[in-house]
Amino acid sequence: MNPILQMLGGNSNGTNIMLQAFGAMMRGESPTDFLKNLAKTEPKLQGLNLDNLEGTAKDLCEKNNIDMDSLSHKISEFANSNKS
Amino acid sequence: MGESNFGTWIFAFLIVAVIFGWGGIGGGSAAAANYATTQDITNAIAAQTSALNQQSLLLSSAGNNYETARLIDNQSMLILNQNNTNLVNAIQGFNNVTQSLASGFSSVNQNIADLGYKMDQCCCSIKTLMLERELQASNTALQNQQNIAVNQAQSEFLLSTMGKWVANAPAAAAYAAK
Repeated sequence: MNPILQMLGGNSNGTNIMLQAFGAMMRGESPTDFLKNLAKTEPKLQGLNLDNLEGTAKDLCEKNNIDMDSLSHKISEFANSNKS
Repeated sequence: MGESNFGTWIFAFLIVAVIFGWGGIGGGSAAAANYATTQDITNAIAAQTSALNQQSLLLSSAGNNYETARLIDNQSMLILNQNNTNLVNAIQGFNNVTQSLASGFSSVNQNIADLGYKMDQCCCSIKTLMLERELQASNTALQNQQNIAVNQAQSEFLLSTMGKWVANAPAAAAYAAK
């Protein structure tokens, strides 16, 4: 398979939700509202403090042993590379 | 909205990435999303370039193999043609030798025939000579017999002419008495 198509492809839940979030951001929606609305259908979001996104994000990264700065950088690259 | 609000949205993205999986992390799923970043695209292009290079190498190798096979085929054809030419030449040579042998045998046969004729002629001459000699010998013997016969006849005539004197000569009787 073409490696570029392979990289662009994928239909995992994470990708779809990231694309939805990206779309919501571009439409000027509130990230809190987006996640709260999403939590209605995604049990994984339920129970999280979605009113304090920064604290929740830091807490999740810490619990999952994830380098938050590195992931933020990667998300920024993703967002910048998909702006038009 | 957009750039100015990204500072807030980044945390939402972080939460989504960790909870649902993105960029190879989070979500507890091995199939975490990996939407392409600039670096991913660069890497993918590099990988594709590598694949294209490999394809180019394979095509080049295939081309070389084809060229090698073509050269071998041509060389084989040349060898076969040369072998064919050699075979034709050999057959032609054998034909020439066969014709020469046939011609030679014809000459030999002719010579044998000539020799036979000459021998026949020679034998004929010898026989003729022998017959001539035999005839001569016979003539000589005949002449001798004729001479003997003539002499005998002459002797008988003479003896007859001489009469009894020869058989009853006095001297003969006296001689016989001694």
